[in-house]
Amino acid sequence: MPQSILRYAILLVVLILAQVLICNHIMLFGVAMPIVFIYFLLTLPMSTNPKLVLTLGFLSGFLVDLFADTPGVNALSCTVIAGLRRPVFHLYSGNDEMLAGVIPSISSLGFAIYAKYLVSLVFLYCLMSFSLEYFTFAYFGQMTGKVLASTLLSSLLLAGIDGLTGVKHRA
Amino acid sequence: MRTLIDFLVKYSTSMLFMLYVLLSCILLFSGNLYRESVYMTSANAVSSSVYGMAHGVTGYFNLRSINEDLQLRNAALENEVLNLKDEVARLKTLVPLDSATDARIPAARFDFVMATVINNSVNRPRNFFTINRGSTDGIAPGMGVVDQNGVVGIVNVTGRKSARIISVLNVTQRFSVKVKGTNNVGSLSWKEGNPAIAYVEELPRHVKYHVGDTIVTSGYSTTFPEGIPVGYVMGQVNTADNNFYTLKIRLASDFSELSTVRVIKDEFKTEMDSLNNFDERTEPGK
Repeated sequence: MPQSILRYAILLVVLILAQVLICNHIMLFGVAMPIVFIYFLLTLPMSTNPKLVLTLGFLSGFLVDLFADTPGVNALSCTVIAGLRRPVFHLYSGNDEMLAGVIPSISSLGFAIYAKYLVSLVFLYCLMSFSLEYFTFAYFGQMTGKVLASTLLSSLLLAGIDGLTGVKHRA
Repeated sequence: MRTLIDFLVKYSTSMLFMLYVLLSCILLFSGNLYRESVYMTSANAVSSSVYGMAHGVTGYFNLRSINEDLQLRNAALENEVLNLKDEVARLKTLVPLDSATDARIPAARFDFVMATVINNSVNRPRNFFTINRGSTDGIAPGMGVVDQNGVVGIVNVTGRKSARIISVLNVTQRFSVKVKGTNNVGSLSWKEGNPAIAYVEELPRHVKYHVGDTIVTSGYSTTFPEGIPVGYVMGQVNTADNNFYTLKIRLASDFSELSTVRVIKDEFKTEMDSLNNFDERTEPGK
């Protein structure tokens, strides 16, 4: 157990640094920003104490906000996906007892369920963070473009990250 | 009492969720509470040192194009020095020598602090960047920031060794500008999206301009001296208002490659501000 705590701590630090130092400066084709740090929240075991998940969500969002000068935007978006990740998970996996405490990943859930879980939460995050950041309908077209393109890019990236780290903890 | 405790225990997760949502909303909507606080911005000690370390690696990436910009700027300045020298020589023949040397040389009004951009963003609606100089270097909120090509922003919050700058690429920030050679002031604003394009609004109809004209700072504030380039006119934009027009301009600075900037210190700022305050105090009804 302490080993996995250490693993998650390192994952959190690496993902937040990658987000604020690299990904926040990328806007592919002017619309797609890769969001990687939320992978941490998505990959916590389903048996994790919900209060801990909420706290980690709020804190990681708050940290990214500090670096990106977007006060509250990521904190609120992360709190919401931290709160909704369990309902979304059960929406797609059903109330399967086998999956009660599982670590969500392609290898544990299979591609279809994991993809639905991942895309839903990433979309929710992008929708919230971009609309909070714009906070006006004046740039509606641009905002919608950014939400959709960023969801697509981030989902692909996160599925890739999951593929890589998944191999590690099987071995 | 017991039912209350039971209730709190039963719904503690939801309570915690609401608490975090509330905290986030306070951060989002109460800009004034911590606007002066450096801890809530990218200029705080932790994030500025992380950005500083990362800049140690990435700082070399754009040096080639920055060097070209500097060479061009150098050539333009050298040209200007030569022209001014010619003019001084010509004027000296017109004015008697003793009166020319007698003239008191005015103290330099503006001073510059060099700083390095350690974090920059161009793809948000409200962009800021962070520099590695702060209050210990004499930087204070409200000072103007320029790079080798032109205006880039205004100091917003300062830490001891870092400061956050509101970029020109920020939809909430406006700058007072004019078409070079005229005296009518317009307002520079950026409209999200393209980091190379901005607009000059509220220019009176009668102001003459040509495509390619330089837009410069107006000098009507203590933030920027007059005549610092901001951008170049691309054309006119149709607006509903018949008395004013809007110009589309190409910004002079390349905001995606900001590296070394200068913060402008106005030595007259305290005097000018106290004069303004004096007017406000003495004005009846205020």
